[in-house]
Amino acid sequence: MRLFRLLFYYEYLHFKASRGLLLLTGLLLAAGLYGIYYGTAEVARQRRHLAELPALGRHQVAELQVKFPGPAEAGEIGYYHHNYALHYPTAWASLALGQRDVNPYYLKLRLLGLQGQLYASENVNPVKALSGNFDLAFVLVYLFPLLIIALGFNLLSSEREQGILPLLLAQPVSATQLVLAKLAFRLAVVLGLGALLSAVGLAWARVPFDGRVGLWLALGGGYCLFWFGVVVLVAAGQRSSSFNAMALLGAWLTLVVLVPSLLSVYVAAARPVPQGLALTIQQREAIHGGWDQPKMETMRRFFTHYPQYRDTATIRERFAWRWYYAFQYLGDQSAAPLATAYANGQAQRHALAQRLAWLSPALSTQLGFNALAGTDLPAHLAFQQSATRYHDALRTFYYPFLFKKIPFTHADYARLPTHSFTSPSDTHAAWAGLGQLLLSTIAVYALGLALLRGRAVSIR
Amino acid sequence: MVRSIAHKEFLGTLRDRRFAALSLLLLALLLAATLVGRRGYATLQAERTLAQRQVNEQFHHQPGRHPHRVAHYGTFAFRPRAALSFLDGGLDAFTGAVVYLEAHQQNSVNFSPAQQAGSLIRFGELSVAFVLQTLVPLLLIFLCFGAFTEEREAGTLRLLLSQGTTLRQVAWGKIVGYGWAAALVVVPALGLAGGLLLSGEAAAGGTDRWSRLALFGLGYAVYFFVVIVGAVVVSARASQSRAALVTLLGCWMLGCLILPKATTNLGAGLFPAVTKAQLDAAVHEEAQHGINGHDPQDQRAAALKAALFKQYGVTDEKDLPVSVAGVTMAEGEAYSSRVYQQHFAALTRTYERQNALSTWASLLNPYQAIRLLSMGLAGTDFAHYVHFQQAAEAYRYRLVQHLNGLQARMGYGDKERRLDAATWRAIPVFGYQAPPLGWALGYLALPALALLAWALGLSWLGLRLVDKSATG
Repeated sequence: MRLFRLLFYYEYLHFKASRGLLLLTGLLLAAGLYGIYYGTAEVARQRRHLAELPALGRHQVAELQVKFPGPAEAGEIGYYHHNYALHYPTAWASLALGQRDVNPYYLKLRLLGLQGQLYASENVNPVKALSGNFDLAFVLVYLFPLLIIALGFNLLSSEREQGILPLLLAQPVSATQLVLAKLAFRLAVVLGLGALLSAVGLAWARVPFDGRVGLWLALGGGYCLFWFGVVVLVAAGQRSSSFNAMALLGAWLTLVVLVPSLLSVYVAAARPVPQGLALTIQQREAIHGGWDQPKMETMRRFFTHYPQYRDTATIRERFAWRWYYAFQYLGDQSAAPLATAYANGQAQRHALAQRLAWLSPALSTQLGFNALAGTDLPAHLAFQQSATRYHDALRTFYYPFLFKKIPFTHADYARLPTHSFTSPSDTHAAWAGLGQLLLSTIAVYALGLALLRGRAVSIR
Repeated sequence: MVRSIAHKEFLGTLRDRRFAALSLLLLALLLAATLVGRRGYATLQAERTLAQRQVNEQFHHQPGRHPHRVAHYGTFAFRPRAALSFLDGGLDAFTGAVVYLEAHQQNSVNFSPAQQAGSLIRFGELSVAFVLQTLVPLLLIFLCFGAFTEEREAGTLRLLLSQGTTLRQVAWGKIVGYGWAAALVVVPALGLAGGLLLSGEAAAGGTDRWSRLALFGLGYAVYFFVVIVGAVVVSARASQSRAALVTLLGCWMLGCLILPKATTNLGAGLFPAVTKAQLDAAVHEEAQHGINGHDPQDQRAAALKAALFKQYGVTDEKDLPVSVAGVTMAEGEAYSSRVYQQHFAALTRTYERQNALSTWASLLNPYQAIRLLSMGLAGTDFAHYVHFQQAAEAYRYRLVQHLNGLQARMGYGDKERRLDAATWRAIPVFGYQAPPLGWALGYLALPALALLAWALGLSWLGLRLVDKSATG
């Protein structure tokens, strides 16, 4: 044990004297802190925008109250009034922004057909979206392996190349002890840095202290362990430092870049999503067809869904709001199978990606982080469902006004249903990611140790 | 002498089995990326062409309707994919595919591929541009890092110099030799791309495409030249092969991974953009109350009506030859479109300011220069996207104003009447003409100059550094 401590201490001295490694560690620390700042600032910006929406709504209500000073037809209000469906981030979103920057985090809904409004997108700078988010998850998943590679590519080879390995091994030190001590020191540096950044990130983002903290740390720590396993595996080959550097970088490129991008191509081809284009066209056609169809026919079809309004007076006038909203609803109904297929297709696509994520531990980890933060596609689909229920609630609110001809008074604005949705953490998916990660880690260590055992350490 | 060194390097590279394996791998990736890209391009393009044709037919086959109904029925503009987008998808994954064009409002461009995918898509897409921009430089680094250090370590550099060769000649010889090796990997893929382009749809706009492809190839040639010269210079200045390799890999990570992301994120943080809700609310506010706040919509409408009465010398709406509703609608559309255009231009300016940091960073980082150049030439950059949005909005405006004009000419009581089905068939449909190369080049001056500056600067300053480096 004393020997181990001694070796550990010499590694520390070595590390302290290496300007390049210190610089790299410092850079990574800076990158991590910037990532935390960026993520929290981005989420704070989204929260601020979400918090401003009710004020926009109130402003519009004031305008409508001027436009309709007395009791108004509810149809008019439903046509003009904007209701906002809000998708609040969890505190975790600051650490892994996921898809929150490309998917809209609020929807402006009117009483009109939902399908024409559900897929509106937010103002997004596509250049920024392409570059991706510089959040803590990016630093952990992309950059940490590079530090591990820089620390470990010459694990034994540098001593061999400098000719001091025979000297070292002439001491009462076994090669295994040497490797273990070197690894332990490097592991301490990397895990220490990861833990420090995570602690700062969790505190800065004000994440509630519960089991998810452990899950986050396990994902990050497991991922670092995996990369150390790769370092051991490559070191076990006992080649030159240059070869090791290339091999490790090749592994990084394959696992972090190539496999995910190939998977992306494969998943898109294996689960073609019925395009949203067909869906919007269908919905518009059905809704606008409503104008040209006999009113009796439209109302009859509507009443099969809402029999409670069946005894409403027959429409004789050229235009009636209840008829207008009836065919808006029927338009949504006619597009419903397409909408369901579209949502299911996306969900299946994501599920397939998750199942295949074991091919790249980087992907398992990233998807795990995003699931924990509730910032991936399933969270957005859940928000869309929640917004759909909100639209249902709005219709349920307005229908009695429309069909029983109740005038809409100023007091009724305050009775309108409101909406707020916070995406939940998908701990189940995060656990699944952790499981995949642990399996890859065990596999890579088993392989590395088997290789190390297999042959003696060559000293030249 | 330069030629024989180049020849030796080239042959040496070919005999190096590691290089052969790596370059075969890259070549396979490039070819796969070309084919996958082409397939993805064809699928999306077919989908959008079909959808555009469908909505065009729907528009032309409308029954007799009131023109304002038709304005609300509207139409869709689908963004066709650029011909070269299969080489560099650029922003296409993050820009929408379709925008709904209707009266009174400007909608967002929806259904971007990224919105229909999980975060898997954020790991990047396998594309020819990705391989050329990121992976080929890595191959070149592995090829070149030992250019001088290995000769020095083996003691052969002294021998070379004793023959009267200068360091500079050795450097040029190596640069040329590695250049040939790189061409061996890249040229087949670009050849395949050219072949695919040729076998694709009719050569409509042919020369434009070919000149884009030629410049695309030329841009990458300069980029690879910069990488090779840079790597050779670093190798000449480094004390050991390992140090050269670590330095070069560090530069690669910084240039290809960290700087592009950091500069774009930083830029976005510096210049916050308005949300769609804020923009819509501001447009509505100004359209209602006038751009200056002293010109509300109902006053404008009343003034317009009074002016019509005066113009036609009547006192009753019934006697007017035009429909007041139609004329008011046209005026309102013109006004709100003007307001919208101002806000849209401001938003675009904000985005341009956000992106400026990473555009200027191309002076520091050749990767960022070639990325912009490549997207711009492929027709998938920000400028091309804005061009589409503006074309769609211009069509929307023309369409709606045409329909408003029809309504105005229907005269008093237009609401009770319809125009017959033939009216709609006479209206031209949306057809998007992608901007020509000359237009695109206007946006690419900075990255192109940055890349050239790198090439010239390295050939001049870099090689002077080589002159001064250690000989043995």
